[in-house]
Amino acid sequence: MILRIPSGIPGFDVLTSGDGVGGIPENTVTLVYGPPKVGKSIFCYHFMYNGLLQGEPCLYITSDYGLKQFQQNTRDFGWELDNYFQDETLCLIDAISSVSGSKIVDTPTYLSSSVHNPTDIMVKLGVGTRFISQKSARFRSVLDSLTTLMAFNQEMLIVRVLTAYIMRIKEDGGTAVVTYTEGSADSKVETMLKAVVDNVIHLDGNEITIEAMVGTGKKKSSYEITDSGITVGE
Amino acid sequence: MKKTYIPKLDDLLGGGILEGVSIMFCAYPGVDCEAFGYQMLNGRVEDGDRGFIFTNVAEPETIQYEFNSYGWNLESFIDSEKVFFVDGSSSFLGAPSESKYTIQDYAEVEDVILDAINDIPKGIGIINNLSVLIDYMGNGDTIDIIKNWNQKAKENETTLVYIFTEWDYDTGLIQKIKESMDCVVDLTTIEERVIIGQGFMVARASWTEPVETMVLFFVVQPGGVKVYVPKILVTGPYNSGKSSFVKAITTESVSVDRKALGAFPTTIAMDIGHVDYKGFLADVFGTPGQERFDLILNVLSKEAVGAFIMVDSTAPKTFARAKEMIRKTRAEAIPKIIVANKQDLPDALSPEEIREKMKLKKDIPIIPAVVTEKKGIEESLDALLKLLYGD
Repeated sequence: MILRIPSGIPGFDVLTSGDGVGGIPENTVTLVYGPPKVGKSIFCYHFMYNGLLQGEPCLYITSDYGLKQFQQNTRDFGWELDNYFQDETLCLIDAISSVSGSKIVDTPTYLSSSVHNPTDIMVKLGVGTRFISQKSARFRSVLDSLTTLMAFNQEMLIVRVLTAYIMRIKEDGGTAVVTYTEGSADSKVETMLKAVVDNVIHLDGNEITIEAMVGTGKKKSSYEITDSGITVGE
Repeated sequence: MKKTYIPKLDDLLGGGILEGVSIMFCAYPGVDCEAFGYQMLNGRVEDGDRGFIFTNVAEPETIQYEFNSYGWNLESFIDSEKVFFVDGSSSFLGAPSESKYTIQDYAEVEDVILDAINDIPKGIGIINNLSVLIDYMGNGDTIDIIKNWNQKAKENETTLVYIFTEWDYDTGLIQKIKESMDCVVDLTTIEERVIIGQGFMVARASWTEPVETMVLFFVVQPGGVKVYVPKILVTGPYNSGKSSFVKAITTESVSVDRKALGAFPTTIAMDIGHVDYKGFLADVFGTPGQERFDLILNVLSKEAVGAFIMVDSTAPKTFARAKEMIRKTRAEAIPKIIVANKQDLPDALSPEEIREKMKLKKDIPIIPAVVTEKKGIEESLDALLKLLYGD
């Protein structure tokens, strides 16, 4: 019996149910990939927010949107994060704000890093997981997105960073989702990304495909994005 | 010999580093390694040497900001031309650079760094980050480049410090990189029970047989790399001077006590303090001495790495109780120091008389002290650190 945690996406857990309760297998890492603007980040917000609602803390690494934009993006779907920052169950590693020159002071739940300093991102990740995993034995983590990290670094280095990230999260009992924009890296690198994760989900704007998932066969369904997020199936 | 300015590291290296050597901090991903390089540079420049920082992971302003957060004034070093940047970061981000050297293309990096080394004879250069360089340059090239830099540094008596994050490179490559350095310091994480910390250990040094000790550390802002002892216990019989001792060795301390019948205040829960001594950081927990509070000893002594056992040198009747407390705090198994307090009083027993009466083994140090006059405090701390970390 594979333990699964709910994704928070209506229809997704039913799609992945198979032998019992559906969702994302616990203590695994899922790659969500696809072309730009198909809902990869929204997938992550669902996953994060659903965990927070259930008292599971989240360590979120953002390399696309800085703190303000990140909060605005989630607010657009009606998901307010202020309380979770305050009660210290949401920890954000912001790897992009510093690049645009804004200096925000670190707090226990806000750690500033830089997209082109993977070493520092890993240090902050260590600080973050130590902080978050003390709150709960079960936690979630999101890395959104690998594409930006690859834009600022050699692609192979980012594969190494991802490997280190996966080890760290799994050792500490977390479940993670990472995103990547299809076609933005060398196809060899893309294959490696798929190889180091446990589950692979493809989004193309109309269809969601579970290409690989622990305990689930290949599955496919339509999906749509509304002002309340992603809905899978009819 | 030059100092490293990293607490305890000089001792592990037989006193410091030789002129013109290369030293690599090799970090497990997630361990804070940049601070080691920056701290070495800061110490050297404060003592009059010149230096440079090569960066391919952060713009110079970000590094200045980091130095500030450690409490080090990099800006003044740059203004007075004691330190300059080799900026291998800004141009890749499309940002302007005001640094002395700017790398536009990785093909230039070898020669530019050679020039930089030439600029600072007997100085110190920081290479942050070597792993990023490998992924840009390819494995074979990087090793050749390192060899050329190290050769030039040797001729100029310049210290080269490499910051390296050990991602999952193939072991042959890592081995070759390590062999091309005069000294390698491994930085790892330590995960034992609930203590999660970071530690450093010298893997090799060409000029000495390094001491094989894992030193625990924190990186704190401000302050930089600080060695720490997670928890030290202070225990002993009633009225032996535990709270005064905790107060004396710590920078700040809190005592949970009550004034018994208005006469002597006595600890009923615990004393807590924080010690910051010669680069060593430790939390100090003092236990109550009275038997009716023994239930708390078990809790307080968990995970202690060292203990001070206080005894009142004028009260041999309490020595049995002191031994009982050693047992109850499970201090038998951890390094401990007996502090023979109240040595100023006329009927105080000497340390050797106490050893005799308490039937203590010879390897347990007994330090004579007068806590109220701050006598024997430093000696006690030194003795415990020596037990914990060796000479």
